[in-house]
Amino acid sequence: MFSVKIWGDRGSMPVPGPDTVVFGGNTSCIEVRCGKRLLVIDAGSGIRSLGDWLVRNELKNGPIDADMFLTHTHWDHIMGFPMFTPIYVPGTTLRIRGPVNFEDETLEQIIGSQLSYRYWPVRQDELAAKITYQSLKETVLDLGDGITIRTKYLNHPVLCLGYRIEYEGKSFATAYDHEPFINLFPTDPAHPDYDPLIAEEGNLAAKEENERIESFYRGVDLLIHDTQYSAKEYKGGKQGWGHSSFEYAINAASRSGVKHLLLFHHDPNRSDAELQELELFYQEKIHGKTPLQLDASREGMTVHL
Amino acid sequence: MPESNNILKIRRYISSMPSLPTTVAKVMEICNNPKTSPTDLDKVISLDPVLMGKVLKLINSAYYGLQNQVTSLVRAIIMLGVNTVKNLALSTAILDKLADKSGFRALNMEGFWRHSLCVGVVAKMIARKKGVPAQRLDEFFAAGLLHDIGKIPLNNALSEEYVKAMALADRERIPIHLAEKRAIDMDHAEAGSMIAEAWHLDGPIADAIRFHHDVALFDGKNADIVLAVAVADYYASREGIGFSGCLYPEKIAPETFARLGVPKTWLEEIDTAVAAEIEKASIFLKVK
Repeated sequence: MFSVKIWGDRGSMPVPGPDTVVFGGNTSCIEVRCGKRLLVIDAGSGIRSLGDWLVRNELKNGPIDADMFLTHTHWDHIMGFPMFTPIYVPGTTLRIRGPVNFEDETLEQIIGSQLSYRYWPVRQDELAAKITYQSLKETVLDLGDGITIRTKYLNHPVLCLGYRIEYEGKSFATAYDHEPFINLFPTDPAHPDYDPLIAEEGNLAAKEENERIESFYRGVDLLIHDTQYSAKEYKGGKQGWGHSSFEYAINAASRSGVKHLLLFHHDPNRSDAELQELELFYQEKIHGKTPLQLDASREGMTVHL
Repeated sequence: MPESNNILKIRRYISSMPSLPTTVAKVMEICNNPKTSPTDLDKVISLDPVLMGKVLKLINSAYYGLQNQVTSLVRAIIMLGVNTVKNLALSTAILDKLADKSGFRALNMEGFWRHSLCVGVVAKMIARKKGVPAQRLDEFFAAGLLHDIGKIPLNNALSEEYVKAMALADRERIPIHLAEKRAIDMDHAEAGSMIAEAWHLDGPIADAIRFHHDVALFDGKNADIVLAVAVADYYASREGIGFSGCLYPEKIAPETFARLGVPKTWLEEIDTAVAAEIEKASIFLKVK
């Protein structure tokens, strides 16, 4: 069995309320099952429900043992950790991995400092679970039991990793939070800082880095990609914020032979009605032009690979 | 009164030290500006081929574990962003100035390095604890790293005298800067101040170099950084992290902690964090 379940798909901040009941209001959390192994990607606010579900349904079969992979340490991706009930249950084993910026504290300090009296009534030292932390780079990990994980740095204001998981001949990848690489150097000859060589090198670097991202998820059975903005919103002042547009994600996934794309990291201001409309619009737009299956991620949905 | 022979030797040594304008000073100026453009950053690093080589080596080091080699700075900036490359350049530029091992005689280079690194790391932690704005944190780090830079000319130009100064400090159980003054006529804060002048470093870092042993009297506008460096220096000597020639550091007066706004007891809590930070910063040292 290789399955992916969404427990949170919202970007930036949880947004509960009547406008977010279809797609969900919790921030990122994805449960991945590879046979008996449990993998969790991100500890956004969605992880609370996952934790409760595990304690209710799986604890009776033995202690919870999970590998947690953080895409990055921005708050919406780690804020649910203190409410992940298994960390309070003796016997739980949790291996937490994720990228850390050179300037920052260790992963343990970043995640664990949420469990200090100023923020939370329980301190990290008091947790019952056995938790280990490992800072992650671009690498390939053999998790055992036939599970392989490849990581790739994405383009976000803080070090951020995409994960590609291979199991039993199937594959699943994440590419959030991410925006396409762009040439940061002036390309307009009229610009006072214009340098033709640098402009050209910048264009080439951005192009090649984008190609590398696409080869990272080439041919996967399921891709979960950042689509926080529309192309118009992206161009209208959101460039450099580290998120992609629907248009970019769909084109890149289609070019890379992705079989199924889930639009993810929904903007907190996007209502159910708007998301439904956008989902339908893009489904119709690509219909007959690409074999890509496209859906907007919904909290609670499961994809079997 | 004519300058003593020793001071002349130090002056001569400092004038022969590599100059700074195109490297550290400029990198610091560019990097401390939150509005630095990718073009500015590329230009300032490219000006110094050695610095550029080191920044690229660091980007390609095990620290990032990139699967593809990055050979151009333009690409590095596009991939890792202006802020990351800025920080790499800043740390590399500063640390590089201290990493010249040639001619280290009386003082052991590794020990001196580790001490300087510890003071930089702790000064930055103090700044963070005090709530100093993020864009100034590197200034505290740089000030800590460079605070003892005056020991380099003393130690290298007058190594025999410096051995005597160390022996004097040892015998009489006094802080090294007092022994330097007696044995050489000049202490490392004064020599450091001459280097700062030669390098056109002014403001907070120059004050930290010049006044870190005179905090009680210092009331200039950069008191926060001078006090932070003094306390960090005391911490590093007390904990025996690295060795910069001082076995008997002066105690820090309770008023100094009060002025700094960080309680003395806080220093008891930071050992593990300091060790981790030094470990991280020493990655730069391994990049040659």
